[in-house]
Amino acid sequence: MRYFWIFCWTIGVLFAGEKIAVIEVSGMTCPLCTVAVKHSLKKTPGVLKAKVKLNTKKATVRFRDDLNTSSLLEAVKKAGYEGKILSITPAD
Amino acid sequence: MQRRDFLKTLSIAAAAGLAGGTAPLLAAESAYESEEKISREKRRFRVRYSFDLKNPEDKGPYPARLWNPMPYQAHWQNVRILNFKGNYDHWNLNDDNAYDVSILYADWKKSAQPKTLQIEMEIETRYRRVPLEAIEAASKRNLPIPAEVRRFLKPTAHIPTDGKVKAKADELTRGVSDHFEKVKRIYDWVTEVTFRDPKVIGCGVGDAGKMMNSGYFGGKCTDISSLFVALLRAAGIPAREVFGIRLGRSHYSKALGKADKKGFADISTWQHCRAEYYIPGIGWVPSDPADITKLELVENRKYDDPRVRELKQRYLHSWEMNWVGFNWGRDFILSPQPAQYPINMLGYPYAEVEEEPLNYYFPKEFAYRITSQEITKR
Repeated sequence: MRYFWIFCWTIGVLFAGEKIAVIEVSGMTCPLCTVAVKHSLKKTPGVLKAKVKLNTKKATVRFRDDLNTSSLLEAVKKAGYEGKILSITPAD
Repeated sequence: MQRRDFLKTLSIAAAAGLAGGTAPLLAAESAYESEEKISREKRRFRVRYSFDLKNPEDKGPYPARLWNPMPYQAHWQNVRILNFKGNYDHWNLNDDNAYDVSILYADWKKSAQPKTLQIEMEIETRYRRVPLEAIEAASKRNLPIPAEVRRFLKPTAHIPTDGKVKAKADELTRGVSDHFEKVKRIYDWVTEVTFRDPKVIGCGVGDAGKMMNSGYFGGKCTDISSLFVALLRAAGIPAREVFGIRLGRSHYSKALGKADKKGFADISTWQHCRAEYYIPGIGWVPSDPADITKLELVENRKYDDPRVRELKQRYLHSWEMNWVGFNWGRDFILSPQPAQYPINMLGYPYAEVEEEPLNYYFPKEFAYRITSQEITKR
């Protein structure tokens, strides 16, 4: 039975779709703030890529769609900032 | 990768107009020297920067870009010689930004090669002091603020002039019309309520609005100078932070700059922010409210200690020049434009690898090293 669940999880991971979230991040005041947010997002299991821009105050995150999007906001909060998801779209 | 090795030698300015006696340097280990004595001296420092930009991801070839703040030229600080070399692909010296901030820019194409740059400068400084009587006399004339200075009354993202900042400025200067009297009241309040918080990274962010709104007045030099500047602007006094770096021994206290017996110091983390305010008829006046708090912390002295009072009096209108200033830019965009902008301030070297900023607060990670050797003729 245990092997069955490991098999299901592996299949799920392999065939899970990918999505892109755009998050508005408030409180960033300098270039190094973007590094803190980016690193925190990238540490989140299921996040494949993250880009954070200071001028737009937005993070663009590519992630597996089995990831609960609230964990993205938690990652932003962990870095010391507030996040708000603006959009989630399927990745190409 | 196409590699080049540049060596540029620029004699930026002669020492014209800086004639005068060179006062002997004395190691003030236990007592500070008189302001009158140190105001006569010229000091010289050989400052060396060494960059070896690292890829934070530590994998594969990477491109890099670097913007290094350079000293501005003034009567009290003169870059006599500038040399630089490295394996960069492009470089330029520019001031193409909103505050005319002088920058040595270099970039490296994508490669696995180390990214290196060495800069060497010989900097001459003179004690900077504007006599109190002259400031008072100019202030009484109540002249108009010149158009080119009025921009230093405006708020920036980190220097708000409304809300609690405005309310406090109004409270401190109520019933006062004289500009310098307003400055003194704000300076008194800022030096009294602020304190140096050693846990703050680097010089601090310098977010005056956050400081006023939180009511927490612990910080470092950029935080304290920014609060001073924001309150002055809100009170109608043009003001600005001046970002720079300490170069060596202070004649006043080891807390304000030190060096070994031969005058050598590793100054990689010695960036220091000061402030200036503008009095029409006299011009920009130097000030340094943050170093009052540093003296208190490092020497474990109270605000009403005579030694603190003495420094407070001096730093209302002077700078000891064991320091060199770079610029007064806040919340502006560098040139060429980086991936991340605007930059909060440019007191530290700024670099991006794969469009990601390197952590300028940690020289060993970045990596850079800055050293200073005092070469004042005795």
